[in-house]
Order: sequence, then C-alpha cells, then structure tokens
Amino acid sequence: MIAFDGILHDGRTATAVPVRVEERGDDIAVCDGTVTARLPRAAIVADAPIPGVPRILRLPDGGRIESTEHAAIAALWPEHGVVARAAYAVETRWWAVFAGIAITAAGIWLVVAVALPLAADPVARSISPEVELYLGKQALKSLDATVMKPSQLSAEEQEEWEGKFDAFVEGEKGEENFVIAFRHAGRPNAFALPGGTIVVTDEMVDAVDNDDELLAVLAHEIGHVRGRHAMRLVLQNSGIAVLMTALAGDAVGVTFLAVALPSMLVQSGYSRQFEAEADDYAFAHLKRHGVSPQAFANVMRRLEKETGDAKDDGPVMRYLGTHPSSAERIRRAEEAR
Amino acid sequence: MADTNAAPLSIHPFIFTGRTADYFRIWAVSLCLSLLTLGVYSAWGKVRKRRYLYAHTRLDGSGFDYRASPVAILKGRIIALLLFGGIALSGHFLWFAQVAFILLLLLLAPWIVVASSRFNARNSAWRNVVFAFDGTIREAAKVLLGFGAIVIVSLGLGYPWFRMRRARFIVERHRFGATPFTADMETGGFIVAYLLAFLMMIGAGVLMSAGIGIGAVVTSGAGSSKPSPVFFFLPIAALYAAYLVVFAYLQARIGNLTMNGAIVGPLRCRSTLRARDLAWLYLSNIVAVIATAGLAVPWVTVRMARYRARKLCVVGTAPLTSFAAATGAAATATGSEVGDLFNVDVSL
Repeated sequence: MIAFDGILHDGRTATAVPVRVEERGDDIAVCDGTVTARLPRAAIVADAPIPGVPRILRLPDGGRIESTEHAAIAALWPEHGVVARAAYAVETRWWAVFAGIAITAAGIWLVVAVALPLAADPVARSISPEVELYLGKQALKSLDATVMKPSQLSAEEQEEWEGKFDAFVEGEKGEENFVIAFRHAGRPNAFALPGGTIVVTDEMVDAVDNDDELLAVLAHEIGHVRGRHAMRLVLQNSGIAVLMTALAGDAVGVTFLAVALPSMLVQSGYSRQFEAEADDYAFAHLKRHGVSPQAFANVMRRLEKETGDAKDDGPVMRYLGTHPSSAERIRRAEEAR
Repeated sequence: MADTNAAPLSIHPFIFTGRTADYFRIWAVSLCLSLLTLGVYSAWGKVRKRRYLYAHTRLDGSGFDYRASPVAILKGRIIALLLFGGIALSGHFLWFAQVAFILLLLLLAPWIVVASSRFNARNSAWRNVVFAFDGTIREAAKVLLGFGAIVIVSLGLGYPWFRMRRARFIVERHRFGATPFTADMETGGFIVAYLLAFLMMIGAGVLMSAGIGIGAVVTSGAGSSKPSPVFFFLPIAALYAAYLVVFAYLQARIGNLTMNGAIVGPLRCRSTLRARDLAWLYLSNIVAVIATAGLAVPWVTVRMARYRARKLCVVGTAPLTSFAAATGAAATATGSEVGDLFNVDVSL
C-alpha cells in the first residue's frame, strides 16, 4: 500500500489543507484528519513531472492536491505522454543534459555553417528572373526616392561606359539582364541589385584612375549577380532569424542579447563570405578579359585613401564588419595576378 | 491612541526557492529538443520552464501554478513568426509591404494585449484559485490607440499619463478568482519618473560630449593626427552604460508605481525595487551571458526571479485564505464567449 502526504486546494477558496493520500485497491482515499473521501484512482489525473517541481493531482471535483512525494506519485500514476517522459528522462540525468548542450552547439554550428548556405543556394536559383527583376526595380525605386540623385555624368560618358560594360559581360550567363546604371550619391560606391542591375555612383567613376580599375569594381559586382548573393543573403539571414526565434522565442531582456549578438556576428560573417566569393569571381573574370587583378588592388587602395578607412581594422571589425578588411582583399588580389 | 478595532496588518512576503542547478537542466533540455524538433518543442519547453519558476515563487507557503497548454503556445508562436517573418522579409525589398505590416501590427495591438493578458491570467493560479483578465478589445483600443494618439499629438508630453492609463487598464481588469483588482495610481509619480529619466539622458549626453571634446584636445595636443580608437569606443560604451542606468531606473520606478497601485480585495501589493540593484543585476547579467556564450541564461533568470520576489510582498488585514474562486458566469465567461481566437499566447 502506498501512502503519502500532500496539500489539498479545494478550488473554492484559497485554502491549503494538509491531507493524507492512501492507495486502497483501485481506489484512493484522501483524508484531511476528520473526513475521508474515496475516489477511483483512474479519475485522478497527475500532471507531467518536472524535476524540482511539486506534483499536482487533479481531482474530479476541481480540487488539486500538491505533493513533493515524487516516488509515490510516479508509482501510482505512471502513465504520461511521450514528450513529458522523454523530457523528464533527460532532465533528471546530468550526463544527458551535458550531451544535450553538446548536441545543441553542434546542431547550431551545422545549421549556420552548412545547412543554411547549402539550402539557400538552390532556393535562390529557383526564384524566377521576373521576380528578381521586380525586386531589383523596387529596391532602386526606393533608393532613388531616398538617398540617390540622378547622375551628373554626361550622356556621352554614360553611353560609352554602357558599351564597355556590355562588352565586359558578353558571354556571361544571363548577359541580357545585366544593366549598368549611374547615380549621384555623395560617395564612391557600386552595388548589385537582384536581377542584374549594377549601380555605380558618379563619385566612383571620378575616383578611379583608369578604365581597368572601374572594370575591376564592375567585375566584383558581376560576381555578386552571378552568385545571386543578394537573394542568398536575405534567405540565410532570415534562416538565422527563424533559428533564433525557434530556440529562444521567449527571450526578453538580457537573454535577448544572447540571441541578438550571435545572430549579428553570423550575419556579418555570411556577408564577408559573399564579398570574398565575389572578389574571387572578379579576379578570374578580369583575367579572362585580359585585365590584371592588380587593378582591383589599386582601386581598393585608392578608395581606402579616399574614404579614410582605417588601414588595419583590428580584431573587433574583423568579426563585426560586413566586408573583409581592405588589406586582406588587396593581398588576395595581388596573389591572384 | 491606536485604533484597537482595526485588524492587525500582516505582511506576506514573496519568496523564490528555485535553484540554478535545477532550472539549468530544464532550460538546456528545452534548448536542445527545440533545435532537434525545429522549434516545435519550444512551446513544451516554455511550459516546463514557467511551471518551474511559478512553482518556486511562493506566497504564504504555497507556490504559483502555470497551466498553459503547449499547443496553444505553439499556435501563438506560429502567428508571431508569420507576422514578424512578414515584416523582416518584406523589409528587404518592398518598403510599402513593410509599412502595411507595421500598420497591421499597430491595429492588432489591442487584440494582442488582450489575448496575451487573458491567456496568461487564466493559466496562472495560486492555491487552485485562477486569475482572470476581463479587459475587452474595445477598451484596449481606447487606451492603446486612442490615448496613444494623444501622446503623438502632444509631441510625447502625454507619455507619462499614457503609461499610467495603460498600467491602470491592465491592473484594473485583472481578477483573482472572484475578487477584482483595483488600481490606485496617479499620473504625478509617472511624470516625475520620466522627467528624471529624461534629465539623466541629457546629463549623460552633455558629459559625454565634454569627454569627447577633451579627448580630441588631448590627442591633438600630443601631435597625433589620428584620434585614438579609445576615444571612439569610450563614448559608445559610456552611452550604453548611461542607457542601462536609465533603463534600470525606469524599470524600478514604473514597476514600483504599478505594483504599489495594485489592490486586490483587502490586500495591497508592495514593491520596493531599487534602480541601483537592477542596474548592477543587468550589467553583471550582460557580462555573464556574453562570457559564457549564453550558458549563464538560466542563472540570470533565477537570480532575477529571486530579486524580484524578495522585493515584493502583499500587505493587508484579511487572511490570504479568504479569497474565493470565481463561480458561475464569471468562471465561464473567459472560456466560452470569446472562443478559440483567444486561446493563443501571442506574447511579443
């Protein structure tokens, strides 16, 4: 016969009555010292066990008995759902808890470093060119409405560069989608939009010393378009957001920091990876068109001087920056010669 | 002479008895199984974590009870994921879609507040007497959207008043069993709190600009053309520190004002959070969480719960056992009338 002590909360008022619970065949007797109630054991529902939490027995009349006699309750009401049983089994074994932490760490690494980049590539490829073109147009529209002004370059100069650009992308896969667009933005910059439009600022055209240097910049952006980096980055970053929400959906306050900070580091890491990939593409593309990757190194040096970027970004920026450090990119360009 | 007829005033402190070692295991298993089940288990994990924290938050010898169904939480998570996923994805390319999503979220705010308050209240119990939230969407819309609009029209000057009305709405519409809460709050305390917070931020800004100025003079005097990165990072660190202190101050002040204004039957809450305690807790929490790559999160949760419990008590003349559970209409109103739409935990 199993018997244990508990506290009865009758569900009518906020009272706490000590009771003795006893097994009597298929029945359970609950005695508060004066009155003994007899109930079928099957009519009482035990909650899922959690280590360190008192068990709660739900009585058919709405009353609840709270008790810390885990062994006795587990013997009388052994049946639970599979989820509760599995969780309890792991939670009560320290070695399993630490194995769980190791699995979590390995799992996060696997998703971040392998699964997401691997999955984002085919998904980005499956997006139809029309959708990409539309997204690119929308992005350009909102840029034009906010930070970009019409180019101040002469029509002849723009046409001349359009011609050179067309020759530069001739034979590329999807060459008909590549378009060059000039804008005035206040600082030297070039970037690729989804769909194949490459935006070059007037300041960038002014900053370069010769045609090869601008071609080097364009080759890098062509690399972004060919690799569908814009779409892949969006997909991978969204994947990280989903992963973090799934893991810590109820994160608030400081705990939120434990989610936000690594997300930021991972996302800038993805960005640096795509930049390095676009650089590699650029070096190969330049060589195919008879231009030395030295032009890339030269234009990086020039831009560095122009914008006053720090020479060595230091260890902090190496992990926070969205681009690899300029020194690193110049070194790789000169090695690719 | 003292009034001898008055019942003696008794103080019932809250006590938190949870231990980091126990909570750590529940937390770690929740994290691992959430990852392995692609997030589905996170709802079950949340219930287990909450049940631990509730059970160890004790008043007059009895713990609280969290009764939410994981499935309802999972539904809420999916809704929140769709909403925020929509905002995040659309934000990359389509600004107008993002604006539309944010407007939708704004319009949904009263529903979200009512649904989550109701869900949390009716899944929280003490000694088998269940809490309830009776606020309606119409009331929430009046407070959040109507009074919120007044804040915008008044260029933010009405914000302390808005916060007081919001806190009052949330407190007043709660019930413990059959006993409704009443709110005893004045705008004055809220105005003082936000004014002081504002002045602290201004003061920090002035001090920091002065610091940058002095730094620039010192470095240029030393003949160096490039400012040291210290003078770049130091003001940022100082700004975050100032923000943390102001945040802790507001958490303590507004938390106390809200809790001290909450009255349930013959009892009154008394909250004595201190800004300097919270500032220290937040700062050490941040350091611990970063230094342990997140493993300190359960320790942080337990120590915050312990501190908050230590600073909270209920004071009153009647015994705690006098509270009755809701019966009849009051007990069923929350269950059936509003239907499934409310049985989700959309906590944002």
